[in-house]
Amino acid sequence: MRKGLLVLAVLAVVATACAPKSSTSTSAAAGDCTPDTMDLQTPGQLTIATGNPAYKPWYGGTSESGSDWKSGKYTGDPHTGEGYESAFAYALAEQLGFTRDQVTWLGIPFTKSFAPGPKDFDFAMQQISITPQRAKGVDFSDGYYNVNQALIADNGSPAIGVTTLAGLKDLKLGAPVGTTSLDVIQQEVQPNVEPGVYPDLDTALKDLHNGQLDGVVVDFPDAFYGYADQIVGQFPQLSGGQEQFGLAFEKGNALIPCVNQAIATLKSNGTLKQLEDKWLQTDASVPVFS
Amino acid sequence: MGRGGPSPNVYFPPGGESDPEMPPGSGDRWPKILGRGDSGARNVWIAVASTTIFFGFLAIVAVRSPGWPEIKESFFNGAEFRASFPVILQKFVRNIFIFCVAEVFVLILALVIAVLRSLPGPVFTPLRIMAAAYTDLFRGVPTILVILLLGYGMPALNLQGIPDSDYLWGILALTLVYSAYVAEVYRAGIESVHPSQVAAARSLGLTRWQSMRHVVLPQAVRRVIPPLLNDFIGLQKDSALVFVLGVVDALGKAQIIQQGDFNFTPLVALSVIFIAITIPQARFVDWLIARDQRKRQSSAAV
Repeated sequence: MRKGLLVLAVLAVVATACAPKSSTSTSAAAGDCTPDTMDLQTPGQLTIATGNPAYKPWYGGTSESGSDWKSGKYTGDPHTGEGYESAFAYALAEQLGFTRDQVTWLGIPFTKSFAPGPKDFDFAMQQISITPQRAKGVDFSDGYYNVNQALIADNGSPAIGVTTLAGLKDLKLGAPVGTTSLDVIQQEVQPNVEPGVYPDLDTALKDLHNGQLDGVVVDFPDAFYGYADQIVGQFPQLSGGQEQFGLAFEKGNALIPCVNQAIATLKSNGTLKQLEDKWLQTDASVPVFS
Repeated sequence: MGRGGPSPNVYFPPGGESDPEMPPGSGDRWPKILGRGDSGARNVWIAVASTTIFFGFLAIVAVRSPGWPEIKESFFNGAEFRASFPVILQKFVRNIFIFCVAEVFVLILALVIAVLRSLPGPVFTPLRIMAAAYTDLFRGVPTILVILLLGYGMPALNLQGIPDSDYLWGILALTLVYSAYVAEVYRAGIESVHPSQVAAARSLGLTRWQSMRHVVLPQAVRRVIPPLLNDFIGLQKDSALVFVLGVVDALGKAQIIQQGDFNFTPLVALSVIFIAITIPQARFVDWLIARDQRKRQSSAAV
């Protein structure tokens, strides 16, 4: 009995000793946007998180040995500055006053980009579409790319030749979980066959090639990278307006005004347009489903 | 996958003699949890007080942590919970389908393997080796790998007659893995039947197979029901792994909502569903064990 009380008392002391970690983030005044004064995860370094593997055309180039990423037929390496998002990241970093060497990349699973609590990166750049729902969990930068969705399929699929949303209703379509591609299937096609939902693009494409899916919905620029034989068509915009990619920050991150300022500059001086033209193939002649 | 495989020393109620640690009539679970002593009422009060103080402290530490408002918003969000719970529950029907069908095949396949492994005599050595290799292989490879390899590998063969249903491959993969565990449970049961029983059956003129079928197996299976149920609970939880094949089960639905809303509450909602179905089963296993023990004690007393 006495011993029991003692043990409980010790436990209680231990529990109360788990004092809250003192918060290290001090909010910098907006406009204070130099690498030395910005409130960064690692002082003097801009830490950007993205997926690993990182897919073309967003990340390209060839990995150097020692890199965590592995470039291949469909994948690239963020360190190379090649591919739209990699090039955009370095342009953004330069605009903020960082040198190339001051940019650090961190490979994370997608879920980590919006997990609550302190993050070990400054922001996540992973073709994350801005939605009002998601904005409750993270703070987004302004959009840096306007994206549409497209349907790709292999030769011989019943999807080939379809031009209307109604024509897609009875097809087995698929998309990776957590993408607006999935929203497009559910909201625009409203299929009679339940869509396949996959942990990532790889597994969705595997089922496409195995013939278990009639088509996969992807971001429009992805459609040109040979993931499947043909681009069937692109989807009209969702009712919420133009879909945009944004950078995802921990809520209340003081960097956001600085980054938004830099994005605005890159937009107005034409850099973003140049990067799009260079890295993202789009083809206006691909029919839009009616 | 968070489950320990049953080793051959699975739980067997101690036969005959009564357990010296256990006062008579304490087969129920609560007296064991509350502790025991001379005065029941006093003990209950002490247990209640110490439990309240202990968990109270833990709760206070959690709630007073600086991250609590954020955690509450993204993991215990009431509106998100109410919106996601019914749709996840709806998809849970698929998990029920998957684990029920798999369990039927597991119980059959595992029994065959266990019997093969228990066959006596040098003639059956190749069968014993095969059965042992099977259990080694499928207990060794992580369940999620078996599901991925079968689910994406087999349809890619593009062979005529090989079905390409994600359900089928998911169920098959779970069946293969769990049969390996359950075969070991059965085998432990078979080996727990005293050899003298087989000798007695044989001396009555039963063939080797007849004595296995009518004497050994009925006793063996009855003894391993609690560990079998434990494995069934494990299978129920692992049914969520089939999501990696593109089957939108309860976990698939939870992840769709989670990644659409950037909120983790749907995962908590799914955990609640799993707990709600597994806890009654766990209590049922406890009850079975306790009942078995009582029976054995009373029969020993006769």
